[in-house]
Amino acid sequence: MRLSFRYISDKAFTGLTAVSVVLLSLVLIVVLAPMIWRGSSAVVFKATVEFRKMQMDLFNRGEPSELQAEIARTESFRKEVYETLDKFKKGIDTESLSDQARRIHRQFGSELRLRNITGDEYTQLRSLTRELRDRLLTAFESRDIAEIRENIEYVSGYKNDPRLTDTSASALFELGTNYLESAQSIDLKQFEQYSESIEEIEQSIRDLFGPRPGEPTPAGVRLRYGATRWDQAAKCLDRLFWAQKWVETEPAKPLIKIKLSRAHQFAGTELEKLFEYMEQNVQKLLNPRLTFYWQYFIDDSFNSHYFGGVGPEILGTVLITLLGMLFVVPLGLISAAYLVECASDNPAVRIIRMCINTLAGVPSIVFGLFGLTFFILYLFPLLGAESKGCILAASLTLAVLTLPVMIRASEEAIRAVPQTYKEASLSLGASGFRTFVTVTLPAALPGILTGVILSLSRIAGETAPILFTGAVALGPVPKSVFDPTRTLSYGSYDMAVGDRISMMVPHNQYGMVVTLVILILCLNTLAIVLRTRVFKKLKGQ
Amino acid sequence: MQNNKSGVLESVSRRRKNKGKLNLIMDRQKQSKSESLNNKDTAECACSIVEAEDFSFYYGSTMGVKNITMEVFPCSVTAIIGPSGCGKSTFLRAINRINDLIPNTRIEGTLLVNGHDIYAKKTNLVNLRQQVGMVFQKPNPFPKSIFDNIAYGPRLQGTTKGSKLQQIVEESLKAAALWEEVKDDLRKSALALSGGQQQRLCIARALATRPSVLLMDEPCSALDPIATGKIEDLIEQLKSDYTIVIVTHNMQQAARVSERTAFFCLGELIEYDFTPKIFRNPGKKQTEDYITGRFG
Repeated sequence: MRLSFRYISDKAFTGLTAVSVVLLSLVLIVVLAPMIWRGSSAVVFKATVEFRKMQMDLFNRGEPSELQAEIARTESFRKEVYETLDKFKKGIDTESLSDQARRIHRQFGSELRLRNITGDEYTQLRSLTRELRDRLLTAFESRDIAEIRENIEYVSGYKNDPRLTDTSASALFELGTNYLESAQSIDLKQFEQYSESIEEIEQSIRDLFGPRPGEPTPAGVRLRYGATRWDQAAKCLDRLFWAQKWVETEPAKPLIKIKLSRAHQFAGTELEKLFEYMEQNVQKLLNPRLTFYWQYFIDDSFNSHYFGGVGPEILGTVLITLLGMLFVVPLGLISAAYLVECASDNPAVRIIRMCINTLAGVPSIVFGLFGLTFFILYLFPLLGAESKGCILAASLTLAVLTLPVMIRASEEAIRAVPQTYKEASLSLGASGFRTFVTVTLPAALPGILTGVILSLSRIAGETAPILFTGAVALGPVPKSVFDPTRTLSYGSYDMAVGDRISMMVPHNQYGMVVTLVILILCLNTLAIVLRTRVFKKLKGQ
Repeated sequence: MQNNKSGVLESVSRRRKNKGKLNLIMDRQKQSKSESLNNKDTAECACSIVEAEDFSFYYGSTMGVKNITMEVFPCSVTAIIGPSGCGKSTFLRAINRINDLIPNTRIEGTLLVNGHDIYAKKTNLVNLRQQVGMVFQKPNPFPKSIFDNIAYGPRLQGTTKGSKLQQIVEESLKAAALWEEVKDDLRKSALALSGGQQQRLCIARALATRPSVLLMDEPCSALDPIATGKIEDLIEQLKSDYTIVIVTHNMQQAARVSERTAFFCLGELIEYDFTPKIFRNPGKKQTEDYITGRFG
């Protein structure tokens, strides 16, 4: 009975531990997998022709002739889209139609003056075209088909007037008949919606294809290209095909967003064909191709991370981390050696120990402010350096931040070295210092490397301490340690809190975070491999 | 009398000051060595190499050993026996001041090695410890190669030339009867050796600095009988060149290897005489009780 109980409890314990381990790894997968999945989309994705165009323009990558051919191919398909759109727009854009009518009227006046027609005849003709113009304007503004028809027909009545044929005024008749034609095909009650919708459609198409050929190049890099990625394109297409509308289902309830098909909205009009055409030819219009964009890790970014990669961020992170380690490792080792080997147990040393332990728990933002006030505002001016955030100040601040971790780990490691090693060395006539350097330190190396790993991860991932001391969201690649730099950690933070950039390029935000994770993983793996080697050597394997 | 709180690093600064002293000791060492070599046959030399006079050692307020007065003679094996906690190791470790590692210790009386008071303020610990080698209870080779382990001491003394080091390593290993077993792979980690080999390596390491005195703190307690036998044979060979002080729990061992035996009890030296006399005809009741197993 007792034995069986023991057996069961033993098994239960084993099972429980196994379950907890599995749970832990599951949680890790649940947390990390989506992040890595999204982050990897920054590197592996379906790139459209716009992406290749951008790569060619910004980084001079790709085969120019091939790209030209590809662009020409897609342009030929896009032409149809633009034409359909323009044709429809002409019909419903009453404002520009009115402007046109006014212009024709003015032009006719100057034409008359050129032909030396003056006096009564001039006044007569002018008042006639003015009337025709006003009729057209009334027609354009009207939402009643009967009124429109009446006005247009009135205007068309003068079509064969000999005084107007072969003059610039004859354009008025064309304007009228064209308008009547399109007005008959559309539902005039939805006129306002049409013009609103057409604006959205135009914007979506601009987002999708970039600026129209022939248009001047926009100043912002972001506006020069259409959707470079298939997921972006899908979003644009969604906006293009579906109109969003907020409707009230019940009074005093939040509005609900519904999607309305634009094809349905424009049913029966010229534009209906556009949607069908785009839906069928979307592959040909954008030419998406699966791309492995490894240059993501070396490229500079454009237009606040809209295009490009995280090269400068990686460089900055590595620089700050390595420089920080350069400060923290020797300092930490010396402090730990002092605490273990030299310091006796007196109140001063106890206070130092307490301070180190307390420092390990101080919030990192406090260290950031310390770095700002001490290094940048006090020390740098004192030494004659420029008082601004820079890599040096950032790594010094991070070194101060991780010093307690390093000291604690090294202290434990040095303390754990068997006393017999020290005794053996001392009994051979080695001095205390020599013993420490040649025997204690090598034997403590695995533990010290653990401290290095911990500090390394902390330094590479911290954001708050470098917030004021050397990190910038955007800026040039640093030329020396006295320049501020971009870093992965601060970049992720900035994208998360900054403008709506993270909404526009979520792949870039996740990509940056995943890059940081991978970078730290790589640095750690390096240190762990080193530690294993040292450990094996110490064990004599 | 000296209170050693952090004597370890102090020796570094002392080293320079005591340059003259260093030479003096070195000379003395050579002298005693040549003396011992000359008097190979006579195991008993008139002058003692280690001399304790009313020597007491305290760990804080706890007494380690009290009023020890004894002499150790060169080129002989002196065994120290006694029950646990009687101060055998404390006394042994006091001879090369390795006890300084323990904080809050103090001594009374004098302890002379080669005629110098080693607890005097001017003593150069580095020199002392090169003169008085030590082998510990548990084999404690450094986590380095066999070669580096043995070359550690000579390198400290300033020997850096490869051929010279090679020679010293070979001699030391031969002296410690380990050469035949490891000569093929001196670059192997010392930790890959067996326990007995490791202990002989530690002896070789101690010999490499050419000490005049070799302290052994229960060198066989962690070894099996075969390895113990080898170490004992080794002690037998070494005693012609070195003065050996060995602490042991094993009375048979003391009887086998030593010329003289000291019996310690409760921090005091009870009896110190030639080994045969101690084991056959002890002068004190306590000694007799201990060696016949009626102790306590």
